[in-house]
Amino acid sequence: MNPTDDAQFVLPPGLWEDFLSGGRLACARLISLIENEPFARTEIRDRLLPRPGGAVRIGVTGPPGVGKSTLTAALARRALDENHAVGIIAVDPTSPFTGGAFLGDRVRMHSLIGDPRVFIRSMAARDGRGGLSSAAPDAADILDAFGMDRIFIETLGVGQAELDVMTCADVLALVLQPGTGDAIQTLKAGIIETADLIIVNKTDMPGADDLLESLRFLFDSAGAAGKRNAPLLCSASAVEGRGLDEVWTALEGLIVRDRETGRLREKRRARLEGEIRTAISGSLWERYVALAGGTADIALLAERLSREGGSPYPFIRKECGRIKLVRDGRPELPPKKKE
Amino acid sequence: MSDKRLKVIIAKPGLDGHDRGVKVVARALVEAGMEVVYLGLRQTPESIVRAAVEEDADVIGLSVLSGAHLANFRRVKELMNDAGIGGRLLTGGGIIPAGDQDELCALGIGRLFGPGDELQSIVDYIKAWDAGRRP
Ligand SMILES: Nc1nc2c(ncn2[C@@H]2O[C@H](COP(=O)(O)OP(=O)(O)OP(=O)(O)O)[C@@H](O)[C@H]2O)c(=O)[nH]1
Ligand SMILES: [Mg+2]
Repeated sequence: MNPTDDAQFVLPPGLWEDFLSGGRLACARLISLIENEPFARTEIRDRLLPRPGGAVRIGVTGPPGVGKSTLTAALARRALDENHAVGIIAVDPTSPFTGGAFLGDRVRMHSLIGDPRVFIRSMAARDGRGGLSSAAPDAADILDAFGMDRIFIETLGVGQAELDVMTCADVLALVLQPGTGDAIQTLKAGIIETADLIIVNKTDMPGADDLLESLRFLFDSAGAAGKRNAPLLCSASAVEGRGLDEVWTALEGLIVRDRETGRLREKRRARLEGEIRTAISGSLWERYVALAGGTADIALLAERLSREGGSPYPFIRKECGRIKLVRDGRPELPPKKKE
Repeated sequence: MSDKRLKVIIAKPGLDGHDRGVKVVARALVEAGMEVVYLGLRQTPESIVRAAVEEDADVIGLSVLSGAHLANFRRVKELMNDAGIGGRLLTGGGIIPAGDQDELCALGIGRLFGPGDELQSIVDYIKAWDAGRRP
């Protein structure tokens, strides 16, 4: 399972050509391959050419049931009205017990389906982190190459721990609803720095003003503490269609601002750097395992340390000391000395 | 090492208004480890097939109670063929007379389940179909 070894996966014949000529099914199949086949990712990434301009990825996150899908559909409608082609990736949780998933976000997006400029894809999170499937960022790249200009990425309903992990979005919107006030108490500095926009949805329900008030208070105190970039604050009722103009204007304003200030590019740079580091460490790990003949020693050591205590680092230093990077870039493990 | 899981579209075409039954079926498929895209009520054959393409679904399951089953299944099958997903399984349920079942079967539509069928038989049927299409 080495992500840098090629020639382990071959695309089905004709699929890439179909994709390039705008085939919707081909686009869908590429996304499935990324989800299902461990070696497809690098093969497809190698082929995706940069597109001038390119898509803006809008992350939509927030607790379960706050109206992420309904809002996404409403904002997608705005985007279509502005002549953008729109991709939507909607993630729902995978059952840890059965591996199955109930993907229900499309129910709220029904009004979009007649429009050929929209591509909606549901995804089960499987073992992805941060409320997403690990294939979601790649699916966004595919939809970008397919010609979408605005790509909405809806996370599953996330808890506190995951709210700040979504790095694949250019712009991140956090959706809350009245009654999620308790959540605010624990929205610490992390989310203030990562969310670009907070949308209080369901303003038709009681308690919206209180929620807005406490958010304002939170940001004012964060501002006083010298934190830059407090998120913008908007409110809307997605079902009644109120406040959506403001939300859309705020989103587009953020996109323009971040393009001009270079923040958008910086986010992408950071994202790519993260991807490169992860891929290299993953690849080196696979090679280490292959050359060391498996992970049995590691398992034994962990087992012993958990019983007897002690530091794993003498072992780690010894193993890392055995890895030599030689000229052709391949790490080599000299044979283990008898102890 | 493929992590392929069966992806199933569940939809209810037509205008009749309750979705409890389809949701129960959807849950059973999730319990069986499938990824179920639930489309909800009032779907048209066009919207169903469009979703099946974008989701790259293996199976489309329709719940038809309105008596319009013949037209709905026929039209969905036709659109599936046009979209290049004619080889995927189209199945479903409702109160469907045996004669109509035969007619739909002749069009290449899979087994149709009635109110008396066990949920497990739907799960088993989909799994057997999946096993049968693999080389
Ligand atoms: N009253 C009210 N209800 C809303 C509003 N927006 C969405 N809802 C309802 O809230 C429920 C959940 O909406 P979704 O859009 O599915 O919420 P979600 O955040 O995507 O849910 P998950 O994906 O399951 O986490 C639905 O019953 C919507 O009709 C709103 O502005 N006001
Ligand atoms: Mg949703």
